Amino acid sequence: MSLWGTLNVGKTALMTNQSALQTVGNNIANAGNENYTRQVVRQSAGDPHEIRPGLFVGTGVNIDNIERMVDESVEQRLRAATGDAEGNNATSQWLSRVESVFNELSDQDLSTNMSTFFNSWSDLANKPQDVGTRQVVLQNGENLATQLKSMRSQFDALRTDLNDRIKGYVSQADGLATKIADINTKIANTEGGLGPANTLRDQRDGLLKDLSKLVNFTTGPGDNGMVNVYVGSEPLVMNGVSRGITTQNDVDPDTGDTTQLLVFKNNGGPIPATSGILGGTAKTLETLKDTVHGIDQLAGSLIYELNKIHSSGQGLAGFSSVSSQNLVADADATLSSKDANLDFPPRNGSFVVHVKDKATGAITSTLVQVDLDGTGSETTLNTLAASIDGIGNVSASVSAGRLTVSADSDAVEVSFSQDSSGALASLGIGGFFSGTDARDIAVDAKLKADPRLLAAAKNGQPADNQTAKLIAALQGSPLAGLNNQSLKDAYQAQVNGIAAQVSGAKQDAEAAGVVQETMTAQRDAVSGVSLDEEAISLMRYQRAFQAASRVISATDEMLQQLLNMV
Amino acid sequence: MPINPMSLGRVSNLARGNLIRSTVTRTQTNLLAVQQQLTTGKRLAVPSDDAGDAAVAASIRKVLEQREAYKANLDAANSQLSEVDSSLSTVTDLLRQSQQVASANVGSDVTSEARSAAAEIVDSIYNQMLSEGNHRLNGTYLFGGDRSTDPPFVEENGGVKWVGSSNLLSNVYDEGTTSQFQADGGEVFGALSSRVQGTADLTPSLALDTRLSDLNGAIGKGIRLGIVRLSDGTTTADVDLRDADTLGDVIDKINDAGIGSITASINPAGTGIDLAAGAADSVTLTDVGGGSAATDLGILTSTTPGAGVAVNGAAVGATVTSLTLLASLKGGAGMDLSGLLISNGNVDTPIDLTGAVTVEDLLNRINTSNANVKAQINATGTGIDILNAVQGAQMRIAENGGTTVADLGVRSFDTDTKVADLNQGKGITLVQGPELHITDSAGVGFDVELGGLETVGDVLDAINTAATTAGAGVTASFASATNGLVLTDTAAGAGTLAAGNLNFSSATKELGIDSPAAGGVITGTDIAPVESTGIFANLIRLRNALRNNDQNEITRASEHIDTDLNRVIRVRGEVGAKVQAFEARTETLADQNVATKAMLSELEDTDFTDAIVRFQTLQTSLQASMQAAGQTLNLSLMDFLS
Repeated sequence: MSLWGTLNVGKTALMTNQSALQTVGNNIANAGNENYTRQVVRQSAGDPHEIRPGLFVGTGVNIDNIERMVDESVEQRLRAATGDAEGNNATSQWLSRVESVFNELSDQDLSTNMSTFFNSWSDLANKPQDVGTRQVVLQNGENLATQLKSMRSQFDALRTDLNDRIKGYVSQADGLATKIADINTKIANTEGGLGPANTLRDQRDGLLKDLSKLVNFTTGPGDNGMVNVYVGSEPLVMNGVSRGITTQNDVDPDTGDTTQLLVFKNNGGPIPATSGILGGTAKTLETLKDTVHGIDQLAGSLIYELNKIHSSGQGLAGFSSVSSQNLVADADATLSSKDANLDFPPRNGSFVVHVKDKATGAITSTLVQVDLDGTGSETTLNTLAASIDGIGNVSASVSAGRLTVSADSDAVEVSFSQDSSGALASLGIGGFFSGTDARDIAVDAKLKADPRLLAAAKNGQPADNQTAKLIAALQGSPLAGLNNQSLKDAYQAQVNGIAAQVSGAKQDAEAAGVVQETMTAQRDAVSGVSLDEEAISLMRYQRAFQAASRVISATDEMLQQLLNMV
Repeated sequence: MPINPMSLGRVSNLARGNLIRSTVTRTQTNLLAVQQQLTTGKRLAVPSDDAGDAAVAASIRKVLEQREAYKANLDAANSQLSEVDSSLSTVTDLLRQSQQVASANVGSDVTSEARSAAAEIVDSIYNQMLSEGNHRLNGTYLFGGDRSTDPPFVEENGGVKWVGSSNLLSNVYDEGTTSQFQADGGEVFGALSSRVQGTADLTPSLALDTRLSDLNGAIGKGIRLGIVRLSDGTTTADVDLRDADTLGDVIDKINDAGIGSITASINPAGTGIDLAAGAADSVTLTDVGGGSAATDLGILTSTTPGAGVAVNGAAVGATVTSLTLLASLKGGAGMDLSGLLISNGNVDTPIDLTGAVTVEDLLNRINTSNANVKAQINATGTGIDILNAVQGAQMRIAENGGTTVADLGVRSFDTDTKVADLNQGKGITLVQGPELHITDSAGVGFDVELGGLETVGDVLDAINTAATTAGAGVTASFASATNGLVLTDTAAGAGTLAAGNLNFSSATKELGIDSPAAGGVITGTDIAPVESTGIFANLIRLRNALRNNDQNEITRASEHIDTDLNRVIRVRGEVGAKVQAFEARTETLADQNVATKAMLSELEDTDFTDAIVRFQTLQTSLQASMQAAGQTLNLSLMDFLS
């Protein structure tokens, strides 16, 4: 061991501490960088030099590596927690928007309007001959129909918005997956089995963290320091290749409504997203679909059930001519068959057609059978028209799938009653509402034009109120189309369901937020930079550097002294 | 507020910053929620604020909204019935006035001029009464029933015609509480007292197209459709009758089940269903799942009657409806269509039924004729009633050359008519000894004692028996076409058949046989017209009696008015009780609403004390968080390094 050796020891110390100081500086510089993982310089003493047998002297210090202080399991759990929190947040926020469309607990909500509408029928029962009260019923019906339509279109707008957002998020997620695959390749190339490329790994962890906000995934080790990303059991990124994420249109066969499905770009396979923003929005889309279905069902049942009662009632005046609102696809098909394609198929039964001589008040009634019992010849739109056409002073014809029933002269008018088949309501004759669901519900144009046609009576007397009473009672009656719930109960169940979901999502979001915070704190505890710690390290390495410099200067003095001896 | 469960080995600057950020964010979110509660006064802004409480609140709101309808109905009923009450009060006063007029004009000291003057007062009372009968409130005729769009009482042929309806409107005033909110004008003014109730049972025979809804059912509860279980002893099948509409549908479905050789059909009498059985069939037919279709259809057979024995179902009670075919009436026997001869207020109206097919046709022909009568199916759906709609007019219903009236059982005068009901309820004045003496054309005479005879048939029998005993050639019978007694001479003598009174009786006039014989026949007149009695008829009667200076008639009219008065007072009592009940219900509803709204408020409204305390706490918490953040985030070792 020579003085040169000592000089060399000083040199290693200078270089090591300089690098350590640089690392500390880098840590301090990144103290506010959330994606940064603090680094620690691992040092080791140099291999000893044997100055005589059995006596070794140190050769200085070396840097073993600059270690990223990361706990992979905490990172994994943090990503899962982030996905849960973001997913629940998204669900809670979007469902709140669904809930706000219902606008319940206000004085202008649908349940209040429904009550107002049915209460006006109840009031009409007090004054069945009053045209003014009829106008109120029609106006309240119009309000209810408008509100249902408006709710439906708001849900449609929400779905469109959600679809657009999903497309945006999917494009973000796709970009992230591509970047992760790219950075995987870079890491493999950079590290080459020699040591960790800390900055690239930090970048990758940052990307993974961003992706975890969008979709749930797990990671597994890939080749040469790369990571594989799996959504459920499906791989999204394998080493340096991303399968890509995109959306596919899913069209509801009943409503024609389009929703976005998450699929892999490479083969169109479905992506099982359960959390993250995409998982949360996908869940909301499902809820939205159910909600829209529920509103359509509610409106459909309201239309059909109310029309069933209304079409068997009579107004202050009869019809001179009335056409069916709902189209029959095949006029020769059995009315209840799929070929007829009526939204509310009629059942076996009959109804009565009354022809009133306006001058004498004499009413001639004829029973019209609607034979749909599955045996013998069944009633079609054409045979029904023929049956009605056979009644004196009445003509019936079918044109483009619609039935028109007309009085033969101005001296008579036509009305209907006792429809046990529901055929009139299902065809849309003499109904109160037109349309089939929340998209097209409206008060029948004929009634709006002539409120006298509004049916309050059931026995044909001008001031009878039995139909009005039956309709008023409809709001609380259990309906087959709504699983034996009443209109109001079915609607309330839907509102309660959404409220419970929103409330659940809010609680889940809060709980997931706490987990996320805990995991973030744990991650920060391991990987976060503490300026106090770094200040101490700074002093330590500074002093070590100063001391090493002193070693060199002392060695130099010693060398000088030796040289002076020459 | 959740607290992070943290046990950390080291604290990084990021961790410190993140913790403070999340704490402040959460506190501010909670603060905003409380602030919203305080500013809106609502604890629940949206249902998800508390899904459970919101659901309860929604159901309470539903109850309150439903009660609004009840309240509106109660208000409408109260206003209408109060108006009825006030109208009935006027009617009562008018009736009392007319009674006073009547009693003031009975007695020998009243001159005919005074009575004529009094008649004018009664005439004025009559006019006021008519106006009261057509009293309107908000465009509704109070006494019009379900025909309240038009005046229910119309003057016609010197009488008052009732064109209103006794179908009274009702509405719902509470869960399951339905009540009528009109008074029956017919009852108040006595307009319906002249009904000719059809005595014939017109129950129609069943046909395959008979609607199940037109049947009373074997136990009188209609046909409640369901599933029935049919078995022949070895094979069993459930037959779903729920979508059956007609009897034919039921029979088809049973036959389509194809159980053994069991065949359903309408029984020969047309009253029910028979199940014919093959030799090996032990028929049973039961209801499934608590249904009662088999019971209602009269074919419930829990125990088989034996192998090969048919099941004869019970009668299912077909009712007469406007669509019932006339040919199917009376168990399929049908009816004669010659028509009716209705005389009302001295106007004879023949009503020909030729070409009529349904009951509705029959009713239309009668109701749209000029007879001013109203024909309707009776409440039980077993026959036809005809009522005289014109008070003060006399109605007679006789055959129009056939047997229609007999078939319908609506003849106003026949052999079953009570003697006491003849001559507007005056009957026949009995005297000491025989009342009637009849002489045939051969000069053989006989006396007839009318005392103790109950019906017109008894009178005919008494005449015929007396004739036979006396050996006189006289036959008494009831006219086949026109209503009246007929005395026919069979002696073929040179003289003339004659009927006379004995012992100062008025029997010939009272029996309607006071006209001379023509061609050996004395054709009696109708002495049992159906007169519509009631307030208007009685006032007209009183007015006419006063004009005619007829004291007995004034007394009789006054007695009838007394009956009217009692009836009106009773109806008024009922209306008053109803108004009270409605008012009580309105008060109860208001009380209930106060309690219910309090419940709603508990759920929906902000508890200000609680909210303000929370607001303060959160504010303090936020302040503490921020101060702590300010202190800790500012602290760094760097500050101490030189």
